Amino acid sequence: MKGEMKDPRKAFGKAVSDIAENDERIYVLSADSGGSSGFKEFAAAHPDRYFEFGIMEQGVTGIASGMATTGKIPVFCAIAPFVTCRNYEMFRNDLGYMRQNVKIVGRNGGFTYSDLGATHHSLEDYAIMRMIPGVVVLAPQSPDEIRGAAKAMLEHEGPVYMRIGNPPIPELYDGEREFVIGKGQLLRDGTDLTIISTGSTTVETLKAAETLAEKGVSVMVIGMPTVCPIDEELVLMAAKKTGRIMTVEEHYVHGGLGTLVAEVCAENNPVPIKMHGVPKEYATSGPYDELLHYYKLDAEGIEETALAFLKK
Amino acid sequence: MTRQGIKELELTAAKCRRNVLRMVEASHHGHLGGAMSCLDIVTALYFYQMKIRPEDPKWADRDRFLLSAGHKCMVQYAVLAERGYFDKSVLDTYGALKTKIPGHPDMHKLPGVEANTGALGHGLSIASGMALALRAEGKDSKVYVVMGDGELAEGSNWEAAAVAAHYGLDNLVVFVDFNGLQISGKVQDIMDFTPISEHFAAFGWAVRDIDGNNMEDVVATLDSLPLEKGKPNLIVAHTVKSKGISFAENKAAYHYWTPKADELTQAINEVEASIATLEKEVKEAAE
Repeated sequence: MKGEMKDPRKAFGKAVSDIAENDERIYVLSADSGGSSGFKEFAAAHPDRYFEFGIMEQGVTGIASGMATTGKIPVFCAIAPFVTCRNYEMFRNDLGYMRQNVKIVGRNGGFTYSDLGATHHSLEDYAIMRMIPGVVVLAPQSPDEIRGAAKAMLEHEGPVYMRIGNPPIPELYDGEREFVIGKGQLLRDGTDLTIISTGSTTVETLKAAETLAEKGVSVMVIGMPTVCPIDEELVLMAAKKTGRIMTVEEHYVHGGLGTLVAEVCAENNPVPIKMHGVPKEYATSGPYDELLHYYKLDAEGIEETALAFLKK
Repeated sequence: MTRQGIKELELTAAKCRRNVLRMVEASHHGHLGGAMSCLDIVTALYFYQMKIRPEDPKWADRDRFLLSAGHKCMVQYAVLAERGYFDKSVLDTYGALKTKIPGHPDMHKLPGVEANTGALGHGLSIASGMALALRAEGKDSKVYVVMGDGELAEGSNWEAAAVAAHYGLDNLVVFVDFNGLQISGKVQDIMDFTPISEHFAAFGWAVRDIDGNNMEDVVATLDSLPLEKGKPNLIVAHTVKSKGISFAENKAAYHYWTPKADELTQAINEVEASIATLEKEVKEAAE
């Protein structure tokens, strides 16, 4: 964790725009959402490859599919629930079943649209996206990972869903690290417990690991920016080495990262697992940092949950 | 088009109707009514209008055809088979395990299928995306769509209707197969979207009402495309559900058909008789 905090949407928009400079197949689609997704400059520089459709996420998903049949790589970014729930059947059939090379990005994921309320929260996107055969689900954890994930997403042939947040976040790595779809990152080694996190909660998880270390608990931290397909090898290595796994995600406890990790362990090496996330409810609204605290997804809450799990 | 040309298209359509029945012979069920009502249009598209290469189905400059009302898939299979996209023996696998011609089309299983339609209200958006991308590339390829009339109740269609008009997609040609009947009864009783052409015209489409089972009318309409430069084309094709099968015509009960007693034999006899008549008429027209 280092350097200035950066807006993930701007990092994403710039990463795609930079790649699109040299790849004319990339089209950016907007449902009155492009400007807020970091594509203002792209829209001005490439009006021939930037299409505005107004607020119609179902329509845009189908249109993206049609465009992709001609070899284009459409990128469509809007508020997360509207590009996952609203258009789910279009995602399933027009992108998944048709195997189209379309990239859908849900921004303001999790409850980063904190005080706008549950209509604008996205706490089930990993769960519903991972159920569509052939769809890759990404949740990069930092601006540097967003850059890597954007490149990997555009190079990958097939439908991809990527979730990014909204509040500024710090870099995670010293220098660039290659982003490989399906590969997690061992961010900290440890022996007592493994905490696997994805997306927005990884930075807080690292902070929690630091304070746990001060209390004599050795925590392995794995960052899992690809939710699906999950890095089974890394999960099983952690299960074997620490014998206990806790998962952390800004997502419902069920159906997302925790469920994926539990599935891998249950089938290969059952170990005690604590799935930590948001309970299945319409999350309350309020300032983002207070929401994280309320649902114990800040460093303090993660530490407290880990200690309780270790006592079991 | 000459009288002989029209008669030849009518004969091809009759042969395609026989192909539909061949699938029902194999599976003993199928969405008959809609497949037969739009069959003359789909035949005219593949045998008269579209720029295609059946031997090279992915040819980049081809015209596209999407059957938004994917449940009418027997028409698509019947016409593609007649046009030579695949061997007609594939028709005998309709309803079978792992068939290439499932009850709604799958582009990854069968050459010539452009989209996995069937969930209603998807085809028009996909087709609009195709038309937009093809135009952006400077290609003169057209995108043809057949929609159902009951399908118009899906709200997603109206998103695409706005897009096609907003972007002036005159390379998009949409037929609404207005046979007036859906599974539960009359379309106008269930959810009335008439006058269909006026709805689309209000969105900014160029519109025309035709007799969709009259080959002369269909061909004349295709000859006049685009109906208006700079506007997407919407053709309300007034058709007869289960056209060509006398006992099933204009009956909602034949939306999905599981033949009873000697119904299938009677249907085959009727279609084969029409093939024989049309063969004669083609010969006469040639002389």
